[in-house]
Amino acid sequence: MAYAYLFKYIIIGDTGVGKSCLLLQFTDKRFQPVHDLTIGVEFGARMITIDGKQIKLQIWDTAGQESFRSITRSYYRGAAGALLVYDITRRDTFNHLTTWLEDARQHSNSNMVIMLIGNKSDLESRREVKKEEGEAFAREHGLIFMETSAKTASNVEEAFINTAKEIYEKIQEGVFDINNEANGIKIGPNHPTTASTLTAGIQTPLTRSGIDKNEVTTLLDLDEDHGVVIFKFAAI
Amino acid sequence: MSFIFRGMMGGQPAGPQPSGAETIQKLCDRVASSTLLEDRRDAVRALKSLSKKYRMEVGTQAMDHLINILQTDRSDSEILGYALDTLYNIICNDEEEEQDESEDEAAQKQADDLGTQFTEKFIQDPEHVTLLLTLLEEFDFHVRWPGVKLLTALLKNQGTQLQGIILVSPMGVSRLMDLLADSREVIRNDGLLLLQQLTKSNAAIQKIVAFENAFERLLDIITEEGSSDGGIVVEDCLLLLLNLLKNNSSNQNFFKEGSYIQRMKPWFEVGDDNSGWSAQKVTNLHLMLQLVRVMVSPVNSPGATASCQKSMYQCGLLQQLCTILMATGVPADILTETINTVSEVIRGSQVNQDYFASVNAPSNPPRPAIVVLLMSMVNERQPFVLRCAVLYCFQCFLYKNQKGQGEIVATLLPSTIDANSISAGQLLCGGLFSADSLSNWCAAVALAHALQDNLTQKEQLLRVQLATSLGKPPVSLLQQCTNILSQGSKVQTRVGLLMLLCTWISNCPIAVTHFLHNQENVPFLMAQISENLGEDERLVQGLCALLLGICIYHNDNSLENYTKEKLKQLIEKRIGKENFVEKLGFITKHELYSRAAQKPQPVFPSPEQMLFDHEFTKLVKELEGIITKAVHKSSEEEKKEEEVKKTLEQHDNIVTQYKELIREQDSQIQELKEQVSSMSSQNEQLQVTVTQQLSQIQQHKDQYNILKLKLGKDNQSQMNSQVDGSQVNGLQTEEVAQLREELEELRKQHTLLQTQLTEKDTLISNLRSETPQIAEDSAAESNNTELLQELEALRSQVQSQTAEIMQMKTEREELLKRNEAMSSDAACSSDDLADSAKMAELESRLTAQMAATERLKAEAKSLSESRAELEQQLASATSTVAILQTEKGKLQTEVQESKKEQDDLLMLLADQDQKIHSLKQKLKDLGETVDDEDDLDTRDQTDDDYEEDEDEDED
Ligand SMILES: Nc1nc2c(ncn2[C@@H]2O[C@H](COP(=O)(O)OP(=O)(O)OP(=O)(O)O)[C@@H](O)[C@H]2O)c(=O)[nH]1
Ligand SMILES: [Mg+2]
Repeated sequence: MAYAYLFKYIIIGDTGVGKSCLLLQFTDKRFQPVHDLTIGVEFGARMITIDGKQIKLQIWDTAGQESFRSITRSYYRGAAGALLVYDITRRDTFNHLTTWLEDARQHSNSNMVIMLIGNKSDLESRREVKKEEGEAFAREHGLIFMETSAKTASNVEEAFINTAKEIYEKIQEGVFDINNEANGIKIGPNHPTTASTLTAGIQTPLTRSGIDKNEVTTLLDLDEDHGVVIFKFAAI
Repeated sequence: MSFIFRGMMGGQPAGPQPSGAETIQKLCDRVASSTLLEDRRDAVRALKSLSKKYRMEVGTQAMDHLINILQTDRSDSEILGYALDTLYNIICNDEEEEQDESEDEAAQKQADDLGTQFTEKFIQDPEHVTLLLTLLEEFDFHVRWPGVKLLTALLKNQGTQLQGIILVSPMGVSRLMDLLADSREVIRNDGLLLLQQLTKSNAAIQKIVAFENAFERLLDIITEEGSSDGGIVVEDCLLLLLNLLKNNSSNQNFFKEGSYIQRMKPWFEVGDDNSGWSAQKVTNLHLMLQLVRVMVSPVNSPGATASCQKSMYQCGLLQQLCTILMATGVPADILTETINTVSEVIRGSQVNQDYFASVNAPSNPPRPAIVVLLMSMVNERQPFVLRCAVLYCFQCFLYKNQKGQGEIVATLLPSTIDANSISAGQLLCGGLFSADSLSNWCAAVALAHALQDNLTQKEQLLRVQLATSLGKPPVSLLQQCTNILSQGSKVQTRVGLLMLLCTWISNCPIAVTHFLHNQENVPFLMAQISENLGEDERLVQGLCALLLGICIYHNDNSLENYTKEKLKQLIEKRIGKENFVEKLGFITKHELYSRAAQKPQPVFPSPEQMLFDHEFTKLVKELEGIITKAVHKSSEEEKKEEEVKKTLEQHDNIVTQYKELIREQDSQIQELKEQVSSMSSQNEQLQVTVTQQLSQIQQHKDQYNILKLKLGKDNQSQMNSQVDGSQVNGLQTEEVAQLREELEELRKQHTLLQTQLTEKDTLISNLRSETPQIAEDSAAESNNTELLQELEALRSQVQSQTAEIMQMKTEREELLKRNEAMSSDAACSSDDLADSAKMAELESRLTAQMAATERLKAEAKSLSESRAELEQQLASATSTVAILQTEKGKLQTEVQESKKEQDDLLMLLADQDQKIHSLKQKLKDLGETVDDEDDLDTRDQTDDDYEEDEDEDED
C-alpha cells in the first residue's frame, strides 16, 4: 500500500513490562497473557493515518533482558521514535528509566521522539508508581507521557499515534532531515517504480558461480512430437 | 633502504645469506624501535612484500608489531594501509587462486591452518577487532579498503567468534553497513562481500543489517546495476539478500511489510525477444528466483507464506513468472527454477492455484499451461530436473485444492472427455503406461496427488475405463494398473504404481472392494510378499505389504472371500505375521525414504533414485503402525479395534451422533425419573390410602367396641338376672373376638330370654292350669364351637392385612432409595455431557449411560411390578375392608335387631311380669299362697319387691 511517510520505532524498557504485548495489541489487536521472552529483536508493522496522510509504522520490539542490551543498542540510531516502557506495578522498572534514557540519548540521533509509557494500567490494585510520578519524570526529561494497558488496549493506539504525530510535526517544522534515511524516516514512493533502468546490459565476463547452462529448453516446442502414448478412453 | 633489504632484494650476497626469519626479525625490530615514521613505514612495507612468501614467519614474528602500528600510527594512512595489507596477506587463505593446480592438497590444507591460526591469534584480544572497526570509519581509501578485506578474511576463518565480537561492540554492525553507501565502488563491492560473511547464519546480525535499510540499499543497487542484466555486483547483492531472508521470519516479515516484494516483479520482465543469456544473467535470475522461493517456502509459517503468496499475485509477480514459463528460448536451468518458483507461489493458495489453472500457453490452438507442463513431464527428452520441477508444480497445484483435483480427474471421466484436444488426463494415463519408467513414476505420483485426501475423486477415478488397442472389452484404470504391476516391469514403474494404488484405496472402502474384486490381485500380492527376493525387490515387497495391509484396514467386509478376517488368515498361513510386518518395514528402512520425507519438493541426485514421493511418506508414517497392529490383532481384538477405528474415522460424525444419543438418553432418563417420581407419589398415595383404611378399620373397630361396650352394659344392666356374669367375662378375653363374642352373648341372651319366656309362658299356663311348674333352664351350647372358628378366621385376616401393610411400607422405602440412586445417576450423566469432547470419554460415558439406562429400565420394570403388586394388595385390602364394613354393617343390624328383639322381649317380659303379677294378685285374692316364686328372684328382684312394697305403701 502506498504511504506518505514511513517511520521507524523502537520499543525499549525492562523485561516483562509489556513491550511485546503493546506491539501485538497495536498490530494484531490481541493480548498475550503469557510472558514470551523476546530474544534479540522482533519486527512488526502497521499503517496509520495522520492529518489525512497514510503513515507506515515499522516497529522493532527489543528484548528487555540485560544480556541483549548490546544487540538492542544497534537499533537506536536508525529510529525516529522510541516507546520507553515501564510497568506501573513494579517500581524497579520505573527506577531504571534514567539508565534507559541515558542509553537512548547516547546512541540515538538527537531528534528521536521518546514516548514514556506506564503500562499495565488495568492493574490499579497493584499499582506501585503513581501516575503523577510518571508525568513528573516525563516533564523533567522532555518526553511525552501516557499510561496504557496492553491487556485492555486502553491508550495503546494513542501511544503509537501520538508519537507519530510528534514526529510528523517535527517534519513540518523542518527539524528532521527527511532525506537521510538513517533518521528512521522515509518518504513514500510517490512515483511508480519504472523498469527504465533495464538496459541491454554490460555482460561482465566475471562469474563467480561458474554456471554455464546455456542449453535452451522450451516447454512449447514439443507440441508436435512429444513421444507420448495417448490412451483412448472407452465410451461408456 | 637498509642493507638487509638490499641484500634481500637481489643484490649479490656477500657472505652467508640471512634467512627469511632473520630478515623479518630485523624488520620487526625496526618497526618496534625506530622513532622515525618513515623508517617504520619502510619496514612495514618490506614486511608486506615478504608476507606472501614468508607467510608463516611474518605471521609469527610481526603480527604484534603490526597491530601496534594500527594503534599508534593512526595519523598516517600509508603505514596503516601497509600494515593492514600485511595482516591480510598472512590471514587470508584464498588469495593464491592462480597457484598451480598441481600443487597438492596438503599444501592448501596447511595454508588454511595458517590462516585459522593467525586469525585466532589476532582475535585473542577482542580489542583488536574493535580497533579494526574503528579504522573502517577512516575515509581514506588506503585504510578502508584493506581494512574491509582484512575483516572479511577474518570472518571467513573464524566467523562465529568474529560475529560475536562485532555484535557486542557498540554500533559495530551499523558501521559496517555504512560501507554500502561508499561512493567508491570497490569498497562498496567488497563491503558486500564483507556483509555476506558477517550475516552468515546469525539472525541477530541479519536483523540489524535489515534494520539499517539493507533491503532498500541492495534493491537500489540491483536496479542501478541493471537487475538481471547486471554484473557480479548484482549477484553479490542477491546473495546478501538471501542471507538476510533465509530462515529469518522477522526479516521476511519486514521485507513483505516494506513492500519489497513488489520491487522484485520487474526483475522477471525478461522479454521473449531476448538476444541471449549470459552466464551472469542466468546466475542472477537463478538467485532472484530463489529469493522469491525463500519468501513462500513450505517450511515458513503457513500464515506468512500465505500473505506473501497473496502479494505476489496482487503485484503481478506470479503472472510475470508464468510468462517466463511459457516463453521460448529460456535456458533449461532458469526454466526449471521458474517452474519450482511458480510451484511454491501457488502451493496451497486457492487464488493463485485458480490463476495458474487459467494460464494458457501462447500456442495455436492455445493450450492450458498445465497440459503443456505435463507434456514435458512425460517426455523422455526433457532434462530430468525439469521433469521433476513439472511434477512439483503439478503437486503444488493440487495441494489443498479440491477444485483442481476434481478438474484433473474430470478430464478422465467418460462424460467430460473432449476427444479433440489433449487433456491432462490423457497425458497422465499415457505416462502411466508408456515404456519409460520415469514417465510411469511421475504420472503415477501426479495422479496420486489428484486423489490426496479426496474421497470423491478416489471414487470417481474408479469409473475410468480404458479402451484397449486389441479390440478387447474396455478395462478399468484400476485393473490396468494391477495388470502392469503383475507384468513385472521396472522397479521404478512398479513403485510408482504401488504408491498410486495405496493412495487410491486407502481410506476408500469402495476402492478396496474394487481392488479385491479382481481375483488375481490378492494371490499376486501374497506371492510378492512371501517370496525371498533380492535387495532391489525389497521396496516393492514392502509396498505390496502396505497395499495388502490397506486392503485389511480399510475393508468393509463386503466381499465374502476377502473379509478382514479371511485376509488375515491368509497372511498368517501363507506369509506369517512376523514376516509380513518385517516386509512392511522395508519401506521406511529404505535409504531414500527419510530424504523424501524431509520436504515436499521432489529432488533426486539421479533418475534411478526417484522412488519416494513426499506425500506418500506421510501416508506410510500414518499407516505402518496401524497395519502392524491390525495384522497382529486377534479377531476379538480386531472387532473392538474395528469399533474404535470406525469411531475415529467418522470422528465428527460420530460425535454428533453420540451427542444426539446422549440427548435422547437424557430425555429417556428424564422420562424414567418422572415415571419413578409419579410412581413413588402413587406409592405414597397408596400408602396414605392404606393408612387411612387402616385407621378406618381401627375406627370401625373402636366404634364396634364402643357399640359392644354399650351393648354389654345394656346386657349387663338388663340381663344380669338371666345371664351368668362369669360366663360373659370369659367370652370377652380377645379384643377383636369381642364382636363375635358379644353377638354370641346376645344370641344366648336372646335364647335365654326366649327360654325364659317359654318358661314363663309355661309357668303362666301352669299357673293358669293351677299346676304352676316353673321349668329349669337347660341352655344348650351347641353352636359355641362354630362361632369360635369364625372368630379365629377374622383374627388371622386382620393379621395378614397388617403384615401386608408392613411389606408395602418396606417396598416403598426401597422404591424411594432407588429413586434417589436413579436421580443421582441421572444428575452425574447430565453434568458429564458438558465436556464430551474426547471420543474415549464419550464412549465410556455412553456405555455408562447405557448401563444406567438399562438399570433404570429394570428398576422401572420392577417398580411397575411392585406397583401392580401393591395395587393388588391394595385392592385386596380394600375388599377386606369392604367385607369388614359389610360385616360390621351386618353386625350393627344384628345388634340393632337384637336390641329391638331385646326391647320387644323386655316389653313382653314386662307385660308378662305384669300379667304374672296380676295373676299372683288374683291367686292371692283367691286365697292361694305363691311363695315358690321368691326362690327364683335375685337381689334386684328383692329391691324391686321392696320398691314395690314401698310403692304399695305409698299407694
Ligand atoms: N495485566 C496486564 N498484563 C500485561 C500487560 N502488558 C503485558 N502484560 C503481561 O506482562 C508479561 C510480560 O509481557 P511482555 O510483553 O512479554 O513483556 P516484554 O516487555 O516484551 O518482555 P521482554 O520481551 O522480556 O523484554 C506478560 O505475562 C503479559 O501478559 C498489561 O497491560 N496488563
Ligand atoms: Mg518482549
